[in-house]
Amino acid sequence: MRRSLSFGSVSAGRLAGGALLQQVALLALLIVTAGFWIYFSVSASGFTSDFNLFSLLRFAAIQIVIGFAQMVALSIGDLNLAVGAIGGAIGMLAGWTMQVLGLPPEVAILFGLVAGMLLGFGNALLITWTRINSFIVTLATASLITGAMLIITHSDPFSRLPDSFTSFSETEVAGRPISNLVLVTLGVGVALFLLYRNLSLGREMLAVGANRRAARMSGLYVDRVVLLTHGLSGALAATAGLMAISADHTASPSLGSDWLLASFVAPAVGGTLLSGGLVSVPGTILGGVLLATISNGLLLVGIDNFWITVFLGVVLLVAVVLDRVTRAAGGAAP
Amino acid sequence: MTARLRNLAPGVALGLLLIDVAGMVVLSVARPQFLSTYNLFVTGRDLSILLLVALAQMIVLSLGQMNLSIGSIGGLVAIIDSGLMVRYGLPVPVALTAGFVLGIVCGVVNGLLVYWTKINSFVLTLGTSYVFAGINLGITHATPFYHIPNEISAFGQARLGPFPIMAAVTIVLALLLAFFLSQVVLGRQLLAVGGNALAARLSGLPIRRATLTAHAISGFLAAMAGTMLMAQLGQGQPTIGATWVLPSFAGPIIGGAALAGGSAPILGTVLAMVLISLIDDGLVLVSADPFWVQFLIGALILGAVVLGRARLSDIRTLLRISASSTHQAGSRQ
Repeated sequence: MRRSLSFGSVSAGRLAGGALLQQVALLALLIVTAGFWIYFSVSASGFTSDFNLFSLLRFAAIQIVIGFAQMVALSIGDLNLAVGAIGGAIGMLAGWTMQVLGLPPEVAILFGLVAGMLLGFGNALLITWTRINSFIVTLATASLITGAMLIITHSDPFSRLPDSFTSFSETEVAGRPISNLVLVTLGVGVALFLLYRNLSLGREMLAVGANRRAARMSGLYVDRVVLLTHGLSGALAATAGLMAISADHTASPSLGSDWLLASFVAPAVGGTLLSGGLVSVPGTILGGVLLATISNGLLLVGIDNFWITVFLGVVLLVAVVLDRVTRAAGGAAP
Repeated sequence: MTARLRNLAPGVALGLLLIDVAGMVVLSVARPQFLSTYNLFVTGRDLSILLLVALAQMIVLSLGQMNLSIGSIGGLVAIIDSGLMVRYGLPVPVALTAGFVLGIVCGVVNGLLVYWTKINSFVLTLGTSYVFAGINLGITHATPFYHIPNEISAFGQARLGPFPIMAAVTIVLALLLAFFLSQVVLGRQLLAVGGNALAARLSGLPIRRATLTAHAISGFLAAMAGTMLMAQLGQGQPTIGATWVLPSFAGPIIGGAALAGGSAPILGTVLAMVLISLIDDGLVLVSADPFWVQFLIGALILGAVVLGRARLSDIRTLLRISASSTHQAGSRQ
């Protein structure tokens, strides 16, 4: 397997032209994001206030981890429609652990991450065992997980979370308007970057995503890779759920129900290939920042929340279509 | 191969039929109010609407694609219908026609995007679903259009004994769809494209027309479902369609549709939706937590998929045998 010589994206031995294209796309995304920042700084009053920047970056941090959870599944050519269901269920589990059981946040976080990973393992086992499209399996498990969570919790939120847990997301890093959650996201990002760049598991995931059949033929334990990938996706969804309840100060049963679009926008805008085999960790980070910037900025310039939904849908469409067009033009068709 | 796959559909349908009948018997014994005229009417009405939603998904699945924007189209059409009638006082036939045209246009937009870009229909229709839903909410600000004309809401309540009048619309549309897919050339071509797109292209089938037709039908059925739910509720609710993603897939998948395309099990889809309605109604009758519906539909899809796995391995064995005996095993008809 050849290593592509790019900074941003990691792919399973693709042409250098494809990698270059990816670099250009990343640069373009950076310019677009910077353009929005400049536009909103000028036209949206309060955009650059410390308070707004703090909440914007904290929101972005959560969106990015949601995007990571999907990006990991996409890297092997699978989908995970249960990202929101797992994030919401783990948020509620952690809320229950802290509020009802009275256990310290560290224990709740550990519980949550392990449970999220186990739910991901469940998805993987169903996918490898039935050989059915991950779309249908995760559509069904999303409905099972959310249904079970609502039945168990009677849809009652946990709103008395310990201060030590909620204050974590409020703490500013070194006096700058940056939440601790941003550091968490950056840490996760670095870990994922190293996984795909340096670890054999990451390379195997991309190989499975690029061509599952070829990967199996060349002796990879594809089922093991699928298992670990969905476990990781579940743990990342759980991480996003934990971050969200820390920021919201409450574990709400509706948490995660609106994550589907975000989970695809951040990776798709960032150049992760939906058919698998190519991911971009910096791209997903930038995609999440762009998503948060648009949501936050459009609201500040007085555009209705509902129209922002339209805008984000269009962003997703433009991103995937542009990606397809540039790839075709660059001769590096996926 | 698709011919063989279709031959297995009656097996699924028969199994579902037995389960449906058993479910009805159990419900009527355990909860006699199941057979009350009003309960049958309400259940039948919900079924009429959700069946259209499932068929809207099935027709796109038969092409090997999907449509995540069915609910958004239904919601958008319902509020455009009611908006035109309530806000602008347009006559009912004009408003409804506009709504159906809008549904078809939304479907064609999906079809064109999929055909032009060749991108996964999942992500494209996910994008358009947010666009359609956002336009709906941007227009209404999440406030319903109340006081739609009486003849519409009367249609939503009309019944012949326990039989909801709107079920007639669904039955006619389902029969038309079955006729289209089995007797009309374009319908046959649609299934052929879904069965093997490459072979269809090589044999010169009109892939673009098949793709656009399937998505247009899907958009029209979604529009009809949205219109009927508007009639039932008696108002243009912006939330119409918000929960349709799961049932839209549950019907065809449990009914035996292959995600890869090439099969259109209308009977299976109908029987699967009957089963879901029975579960829904049964839970209401035993006053269970409504959240169980979501859980059980998820479990049903998984159960059907696992059973389908067993069926698929049978097909593989079958194909291996027939492929070695004759070269025509894979050809259609």
